[in-house]
Amino acid sequence: MITQEKYRSKAKKLLAEGSVKMVIGYSPGSTPDRRRPVFIRSFDEADQLVLDSNCIANLSGYLVSEGLLSDEKHVAIFLRPDGIRSINILAAESQLNVDQIIIFGFDTNGNEVRALTGEHAGEFSEFIGSIKEHPPEKSRDPLLYQIEQMNPQERFAFWKDEFSRCIKCYACRQACPMCYCRRCIVDSNQPQWINTSSHTLGNFEWNVVRAFHLAGRCVGCGNCDRACPVNIPLRLINSRMAEEVLDSFDHFAGLNPAQEPVLASFKKDDSETFIL
Amino acid sequence: MAKIGVFICHCGENIASKVDCTKLAAAIGEHPGVAVSVEYKYFCSEPGQESVKKAIRDNNLTGVIIAACSPRMHEATFRKVCAEAGLNPYLCEIANIREQCSWVHTDKEMATEKAMDITRSMIEKVKRNNKLQPIEVPVTRRALVIGGGIAGIQAALDIANAGQEVVLVEREPSLGGHMSQLSETFPTLDCSQCIMTPRMVEAAQHPKIRLLTYAEVEHVDGFIGNFKVKIRMKSRYVDINTCTGCGDCMTKCPVKKISSEFDCGLGKRTAIYTPFAQSVPNIPVIDKASCIYFKNGKCKTCMKSCQINAINFDLQDEFIDLDVGAIVVATGFQVQNTAGYGEYGYGKYPDVITGLQFERLATASGPTSGKILRPSDGKEPETVVFIQCAGSRDPSKGVHYCSKICCMYTAKHAMLYAHKVHHGKTHIFYMDIRAGGKGYDEFTRRAIEEDDASYVRGRVSKVWLENGKLMVRGVDTLLGRPVTIAADMVVLATAMVPQPNAKEFAKTIGIAYDEYGYYNEAHLKLRPVESSTAGVFLAGACQSPKDIPDSVAQASASASKVLALFSKEKLEREPVVATTNEATCAGCWGCVLACPYNAIEQKDILDRSGRIIKRVASVNPGLCQGCGTCVTFCRSNSIDLAGFTDKQIFAEVMAL
Amino acid sequence: MSELFEPKIIAFVCTYCTYAGADLAGTSRLKYAPNVRIIRLPCTGRISPMFILKALQKGADGVLVSGCHPGDCHFTHGNYHARRRWMVFRSLLDFMGIQPERVIFSWISAAEGGKFADLINTVTEDIRKLGPFDQYKELIRETEAPATL
Ligand SMILES: Cc1cc2nc3c(=O)[nH]c(=O)nc-3n(C[C@H](O)[C@H](O)[C@H](O)COP(=O)(O)OP(=O)(O)OC[C@H]3O[C@@H](n4cnc5c(N)ncnc54)[C@H](O)[C@@H]3O)c2cc1C
Ligand code: SF4
Ligand code: SF4
Ligand code: SF4
Ligand code: SF4
Repeated sequence: MITQEKYRSKAKKLLAEGSVKMVIGYSPGSTPDRRRPVFIRSFDEADQLVLDSNCIANLSGYLVSEGLLSDEKHVAIFLRPDGIRSINILAAESQLNVDQIIIFGFDTNGNEVRALTGEHAGEFSEFIGSIKEHPPEKSRDPLLYQIEQMNPQERFAFWKDEFSRCIKCYACRQACPMCYCRRCIVDSNQPQWINTSSHTLGNFEWNVVRAFHLAGRCVGCGNCDRACPVNIPLRLINSRMAEEVLDSFDHFAGLNPAQEPVLASFKKDDSETFIL
Repeated sequence: MAKIGVFICHCGENIASKVDCTKLAAAIGEHPGVAVSVEYKYFCSEPGQESVKKAIRDNNLTGVIIAACSPRMHEATFRKVCAEAGLNPYLCEIANIREQCSWVHTDKEMATEKAMDITRSMIEKVKRNNKLQPIEVPVTRRALVIGGGIAGIQAALDIANAGQEVVLVEREPSLGGHMSQLSETFPTLDCSQCIMTPRMVEAAQHPKIRLLTYAEVEHVDGFIGNFKVKIRMKSRYVDINTCTGCGDCMTKCPVKKISSEFDCGLGKRTAIYTPFAQSVPNIPVIDKASCIYFKNGKCKTCMKSCQINAINFDLQDEFIDLDVGAIVVATGFQVQNTAGYGEYGYGKYPDVITGLQFERLATASGPTSGKILRPSDGKEPETVVFIQCAGSRDPSKGVHYCSKICCMYTAKHAMLYAHKVHHGKTHIFYMDIRAGGKGYDEFTRRAIEEDDASYVRGRVSKVWLENGKLMVRGVDTLLGRPVTIAADMVVLATAMVPQPNAKEFAKTIGIAYDEYGYYNEAHLKLRPVESSTAGVFLAGACQSPKDIPDSVAQASASASKVLALFSKEKLEREPVVATTNEATCAGCWGCVLACPYNAIEQKDILDRSGRIIKRVASVNPGLCQGCGTCVTFCRSNSIDLAGFTDKQIFAEVMAL
Repeated sequence: MSELFEPKIIAFVCTYCTYAGADLAGTSRLKYAPNVRIIRLPCTGRISPMFILKALQKGADGVLVSGCHPGDCHFTHGNYHARRRWMVFRSLLDFMGIQPERVIFSWISAAEGGKFADLINTVTEDIRKLGPFDQYKELIRETEAPATL
């Protein structure tokens, strides 16, 4: 509540003095425990903003909506640590200018909401660095261990079964702040790299390619996972990839706005134990 | 509709003995889009080539497959055949059924089946080939040489003597670089100034060379054949066109005690100065930081002393924009600073000096007029200790690599000293003597045998002062015991390192560098004088530690590359280059980062009123070398590579 | 198992090193298993993970990817970029249940004709032992629309 009030009044102040043109935040949703994104443009709308432990969605994807930032005006946005990481990536990939973004940073612990100190992306770099060094305990999904225990055939069968439900709605893509391409590779048909109908092969290919494109970029916000109407545990694949880039290249996605994209760079002594 | 001609070569028995060519031709004849499928003993022979041409004309073929030896053998031959028959040469592909099929397999049936797969796959590719045209890039026939050391001078002279224009840029007030600081040079012991000065003068007076000293390259844009360069002419406060170089100003300048950079701190200079007596051009500059007028607005003694009013305190830096077609980078090296070697006492004891300082002492026109005198008291040292590898081959404090020249110049120093101080004694601590080069081993032998240099194999651990002597403690690893030598002077063979701004400067010109800041060659073995950026060449010690002969050789090699580039008005390149799809590019710049050749630029897409709508990636075909690294990176599939397009490769795989 | 299973293997190689190495195996008349089909690319940097998926779609039981040794890339850095991608893609496939033994990466220089021949032989044998990639073929079979060009 205290944090909510603090940010409401900050939102009012910034809107009143015209230093931001919009505040992107959360408002009550269709059920008591759901929140929906809200785009506050004026002082008197600011009381719609709510902030509690149900505010889970990573809102950063809205920042790259066509034209939103092109007038170089400032926008404020509620972000969890993973949301801050995702705007760092968007900045590193030239999709936005972090100077235009005022961050209302927060984090939750059970029902508690706490404000994060800082206003601009750069000010959180140290904090994000500390998450890299000391990841919150029990953050690894138990399912990951289970999958790793399986033999390849079982693993393949597991995923085949999961992907068999995919209806190619692309909600996962739509929900992900990192999926900002104007034309996704699945939409290109010259050639048609990925079968678009939702049969198992196309589903498998789509999910593999999505995971590859997010390797080193996914911040684990869970937007995709929550968006998937058929409950495919997408977070597992993404977090496995995040572990891989961390182990192999010491890359923690979204560390700061100037981070080099991990697959557009290299080190001469990168590991190559797997190469014959 | 595709009309593909497939020409299956027996290569005598080389293919036919393991691949059933008749069966292959029949099967391929059935493949959709194939209009001609024929076999022949030798398609590379004259009649073979003629038959291909005839088939192209008679059937109006839209693509050609030669199923034969490796494309690395005859791709060029058959593409030429196609061009002669009026078919775009890039509509011809080779199916390699010899090196990668008939020669390596024993089972005829399986080999034939594999040959069919290979041929079908190439047919599907060629159906999607585009008519490509070689890329033509106009060439501005003017070269920019950066750095006026021996390497830069040599490159400039070679290019100019071949009749092409050169702009030679040196950031110091005079040409010369390190070589002008040297006394005598190994392995012949000829006087450095005597061989250097005529070269400097020749470069300055050459009608084809525009010399810009006290100047720096600020900005480079463009690509091979078409660079745009901005050069800052630092203000000398002396009008270069009026000054006659009489030197009156320097005699009158009241600030006389500035440590001379050229003499490595062993001599003094004035605030208005030329680095050395033989400077080219012989025109002074005012050192703003030391000049009294610039400090407190009073003095102008020099201005008053100048008979022809060449001095003007109001002059400003000027900028020159140039178009050049090629760039030779010859920015040289520095000697490593010895701060890391506290135990050797450099900086603490004035008589511990570097090899370069020793050069100044040994130079006839140097601060001691060529006498070897101790900096501390001006006395002649009777025992001198030289320490090799003071920084080189020392990963813990210095650099990993061997500086290549120190073994040689230390032997030279021992000889020069022996020639000047007859009763003197030299001791040289070394790790190995590396004297590979024409006359080099003979030279070090001479130092030992004729000039009595005593070599001690081992490292020095400490130098300290005791009763007016520099005590040098080291180990003699050959005898396996510690040694201590009481010396009057210690000379450190400090490592050769890149210029301190080398990495920054590399970014300015857009070339790659290694972990130290030495500039990378395009290929260490086969393209050692080209940088990784087309049209930019390397000469001298900016690429790796080098002595004068190597620097000059590389400079001449670079010059010949420049001249080859200038030999035509237009440059023709293989059209295997990437292109972006501006409509779908998301502007993530991943490709820009990944491209090994900096070939991708950001391009603004404007609306009619000139407002930026979006920024997209755009490949400069002059720079792109066609590796395709960017294509694979692009998540939105917005780049493709001519000759190896996604469509082509997809079709190749799908035909297997 | 009465008849010997002949695996289908598709290789993606760079033209400057591995393709030249394969040519050298030929000029040296070395003998190796005829199961591999080679697709030539300018550089390992051009080899996209998509190619590997498409090879599997075409029923490959194994995929081989090969190029110049680090430091030898004709385009200086293409193979360094490729190495990172492969590292990530390999572990992704592994996590999906595609055994790393089916997707093999190697460095083969233009001088390593012998290494090329040996590698083809071992890879063919290894994949023969693994057997056909039935699980993936199952995916393809379930696909109503067969892959077309
Ligand atoms: C102590 C010592 C003794 C040596 N003795 C010998 C010997 O006896 N025999 C022998 O063969 N070799 C000897 N050498 C090696 C020799 O000095 C080098 O091989 C040679 O000087 C290399 O020439 P260069 O033109 O590449 O570099 P440099 O001589 O360093 O010249 C580089 C020039 O580029 C200029 N420059 C740098 N950056 C810029 C820029 N950004 N813009 C414009 N200009 C720039 C510099 O001011 C300089 O004038 C010795 C070296 C040392 C240190
Ligand atoms: S892939 Fe999913 S979890 Fe990762 S950043 Fe995108 S939406 Fe968030
Ligand atoms: S959200 Fe789920 S069902 Fe929709 S495309 Fe993504 S994985 Fe498939
Ligand atoms: S990688 Fe693709 S999307 Fe990104 S800038 Fe390059 S062409 Fe555009
Ligand atoms: S093909 Fe290679 S050289 Fe050309 S733009 Fe792409 S990455 Fe650069």
